[in-house]
Amino acid sequence: MNTKKWLSTAVLVLIPACIGINFLGKSFAEALHLPLWLDSIGTCLAACLAGPIVGAICGAANNLIYGLTLSPISLVYALTSAAIGIVVGILANKGQMRHIKGAILTSILAGLVAVIISTPLNVIFWGGMTGNTWGDAVYAWAVAQKLPMFIASFFDEMVVDIPDKIATILIVFGIYKGLPKTLTSLYQSNDKIENLND
Amino acid sequence: MKSITLYEYKNSFLNHIDPFCKLLYILAALSIPLILGVSVTKLIFIAISIFLIISNKVFKKVIPLFTFSAIIILTAIIIQGLFYSNNKHIILQLGPLKFYKEGLLFAYHIALNVLNILLSFAVLIFTTKPTDLIDSFVRVGFSPRFGYVLSSVFQIIPQMSETMSTISDAQKSRGMESEGNLFTRIKAFFPLISPVITSSLINTRERAIALEVRGFNSTTKKTFLNQQTRTRKDKIINIILLLLIILSSIWRIITCLK
Repeated sequence: MNTKKWLSTAVLVLIPACIGINFLGKSFAEALHLPLWLDSIGTCLAACLAGPIVGAICGAANNLIYGLTLSPISLVYALTSAAIGIVVGILANKGQMRHIKGAILTSILAGLVAVIISTPLNVIFWGGMTGNTWGDAVYAWAVAQKLPMFIASFFDEMVVDIPDKIATILIVFGIYKGLPKTLTSLYQSNDKIENLND
Repeated sequence: MKSITLYEYKNSFLNHIDPFCKLLYILAALSIPLILGVSVTKLIFIAISIFLIISNKVFKKVIPLFTFSAIIILTAIIIQGLFYSNNKHIILQLGPLKFYKEGLLFAYHIALNVLNILLSFAVLIFTTKPTDLIDSFVRVGFSPRFGYVLSSVFQIIPQMSETMSTISDAQKSRGMESEGNLFTRIKAFFPLISPVITSSLINTRERAIALEVRGFNSTTKKTFLNQQTRTRKDKIINIILLLLIILSSIWRIITCLK
């Protein structure tokens, strides 16, 4: 049963659960009127638990489902979500998510990658704006300073994304540390399996 | 249980059309304006989408999408009209605010883009059951395991939202404050989200066992619960849409060669 262990049934079931967590994080953040999205908690958690590939699948599937059911806009950002999953997964595999310093490093890197990928998408589709009040205020300021649209859009996205990813990863870090080993080992594919029959 | 989808069965024309036709329509609505490079085509597709939405009786449900896009369009008009980098000609002056022609034109293009994308997707989203859409993907060769992953999201999210309201009631009854200043609200986030996450992760283990017991990993060919109903109408629509995309590409190539 070891073939395709990285996509075992447990991992496959983890993906919809994490998409649900993304949804809950977003709706809690909205219910509490927090100035953040917090809609990638599940993606980051999946990446920590099962590695970068599953993180990427989870992120892309997440946006695909929202795009095809609730808001078409999120379809555009499937690429960003997948990239966040990859970055967090790689850093978690390297053991960065075991201590707070590594978690902060992970969050900043994930935020930067999200900004770098989202900015061209924003420019192509919406002329560089994000639809977030704070970010668009920065965008307006930067454009008024005669900065190029690309840089203005970069600032726009950065103001929103980096604090959001820092908050997200810190929440994930807190939850990930508290999970029992019996649960986390379920999704790990790089563990050696001892066989008694050999 | 509350469903998260926007789909509603109205026994309308689009309800009985193959999901692939509607996907092809989205492709046409987004690619043809891009291929031709003429913004009038976007207007035409917006008009077609609105017509399809109204004639399929889902217009009321689409209105929230309009308000959402109105916010984007309004900020685009204000920001680009005032500050767009190529602004030269003043067109409108309101007190100290000067709106420029170039910026407003740019905002107009953004507005067309936003409306075209939103409305063409609305044609699909409001008239197609998500599980049908996933079914038709699996039929053309998409992995059924992934098909399960996608369609189970629609079962899991309503379940989780119920857990979410149970937990927020439980925590409130223990004295958790969920209103007040930003700090109190941030503090309230953790006791709300962590029990849901842990419980849903524990649930995944049981779900995985339940699936494997029922032969989820079996390699035999999977069958479908519902039969596919692809009619001649679907084929005709598909052919027309494909022809439109091909013709516009040919037209563009010819005009480029001239």
